Amino acid sequence: MFKPSLDDLIKSSVRSILKNKGRTILTSLGIIIGVTSVILLTSIGNGLKGYISDQFESLGSNTIFIAPGKIFDDKGGFNSSSGPSSRFISTTFSQSDVADLKRALRGSTIVPMSIGIVNIKSSKTTKTNVTIVGSTYQYASSANYQPSTGNGRSFTKEEEDKKSDVIVLGYSLANDLFPSGSALNKKIVVKSKNMKIIGILDKKGGSFGGPDVDQYAFTPLGNVFDFNGTQNINQILIKTPSKDLVPQVKIEAKNAMLKKFNKDAFTVFDSSQLLSSINTIIGTLTVALAGIAAISLVVGGIGIMNIMLVTVSERTREIGLRKAIGAYPNAILIQFLIEAIILSSIGGFIGVLLGSLGALAINNFFPARVTISSILIAFGVSALVGIIFGVAPARRASRLSPIEALRYE
Amino acid sequence: MIKSSLSKNNSEVVLELRDIFKTYTSGNTTFNALDGVSLKIKKGEFVSITGPSGSGKSTLMHIVGLLDNPTSGQVLLEGRDISKLKEEQLAKIRNVTLGFVFQQFNLLAKTSSLENVMLPLLYSDVPKNKRESLALEMLAKVGLIDKLKNTPAQLSGGQQQRVAIARALVNDPKIILADEPTGNLDSKSGKDVMELFHQLNRKEGRNIVLVTHDMDLAKEADRIIIIKDGKIEMKNLKSKF
Repeated sequence: MFKPSLDDLIKSSVRSILKNKGRTILTSLGIIIGVTSVILLTSIGNGLKGYISDQFESLGSNTIFIAPGKIFDDKGGFNSSSGPSSRFISTTFSQSDVADLKRALRGSTIVPMSIGIVNIKSSKTTKTNVTIVGSTYQYASSANYQPSTGNGRSFTKEEEDKKSDVIVLGYSLANDLFPSGSALNKKIVVKSKNMKIIGILDKKGGSFGGPDVDQYAFTPLGNVFDFNGTQNINQILIKTPSKDLVPQVKIEAKNAMLKKFNKDAFTVFDSSQLLSSINTIIGTLTVALAGIAAISLVVGGIGIMNIMLVTVSERTREIGLRKAIGAYPNAILIQFLIEAIILSSIGGFIGVLLGSLGALAINNFFPARVTISSILIAFGVSALVGIIFGVAPARRASRLSPIEALRYE
Repeated sequence: MIKSSLSKNNSEVVLELRDIFKTYTSGNTTFNALDGVSLKIKKGEFVSITGPSGSGKSTLMHIVGLLDNPTSGQVLLEGRDISKLKEEQLAKIRNVTLGFVFQQFNLLAKTSSLENVMLPLLYSDVPKNKRESLALEMLAKVGLIDKLKNTPAQLSGGQQQRVAIARALVNDPKIILADEPTGNLDSKSGKDVMELFHQLNRKEGRNIVLVTHDMDLAKEADRIIIIKDGKIEMKNLKSKF
């Protein structure tokens, strides 16, 4: 073996790259931009996934939902043939369904929900088309919608049974109705009914196009029945005593519902199922976006190939000399290949740095998480780009005839 | 190692060319750059190859330097037929047996004298920890130990050529091939370089093959080979030196 050792090759490649610092940065720019955007987009995708997981986590992992319509298709994704919105209207549940479920699922808490759209008037202003959720006293603890200390309370069983004129407001709804001063204990008019604000929820944050819970109002079930003029129940929430019981209770709930409804008229699902469907969608989106960003990596690779071809012709005499003094063709090939890889790795390194810093900055107003795997993949791909686009120039260098190369002016 | 089919009956001969042809074809015309050249170079000889431009002396130099393959004929280096060796094996022989000195110096730009001299060692078996001391020794031999950190741009032509000679010497080659080594130098520097070659030849017994068109320079060698139209016209002209 008379091959120059790898560290010798790397040393001499680094040296020749450092001779042209400006060119190195310009050449790496394509890779820098590509890697930065790949890192940014995957961070946003991962951040979004994490954010949504956290939101579901707050619901509790022992929660089961029964909603109208067929929400999921057979593969576990969202059913695209019939949108949930159309089914919300077509199927509704009733008090007797809730009673049946209570009988079938002893031990679990059954929370019916009725949803209405109302106008709310405060002493200062009027809010139109507010979503009002009517439910039982157990809703607040089951869905984790309880006012924190100092912001009032949720309604009691007694208030529920008596259909008391009490209401709990979402964070921003309360602010909209009472821009100055606290809304707590103030009176408002909901569809000509005088109601007292007994609690204000903490800020939950919107969920990207989904319902904004901060704009919701919550009141005993009977009140919403009155507002809607029907006794329809739109959704049923089941809280099992423990997480382990979720699969079993899901089957029992489904069987109970099947006695009355067609299998496509309702869906029984738990939060993990919903979460995995959402994650599938976000994952696909992230891969697609990162793939588009990766196109710029290819463009960057072509830039590297271009500059390496220039380098090879600029250094033709050097190549001839190296061959004359004992460099065999593969030694030249590896030398130029390493230069290309170092060029693209410099780009990859700077890109990872910029992308990570960018993700940290974005995280201030949008969830973004940099993962080790996305860094490794982005860096690996940039090195791979160096290899792929470095081969052609390196082969050209290694095949130069030493006489021709030494004669080159 | 390729087993030589020829016996080393004359150990004094370092390099032998046997009936070398180098033919270039362009369209229907063929041109013999070398037209049946045979010659022997003995151990310790200082030989010059001279002739008018286009005579084939550069082609001859390339074949002697294993940079080019003859169309036909044999090249024997220390009795070993090297005309059929692979590029990798030729590279190794160029690395350890031959030292090249060019008219254009061919030093790496923006690279120190020391590193330029160390360059051939990159492709050799010399262990890393010995490379620098070897290169320093060579720089001292050519009188440039105080310029070891200078880049070619900071050196005069004569100094650059001496760095190139140090580079040619660093792998302890048996033969030094010099192609118009003084062609780009002023006469004083040219004389210094020639003096260096004489020292290497006399003190260290190295073979020097000097290719030049300058008859006065050629005469400084032990023997002059004159080539014309691809043929050797005179090969045993003994110069008095």
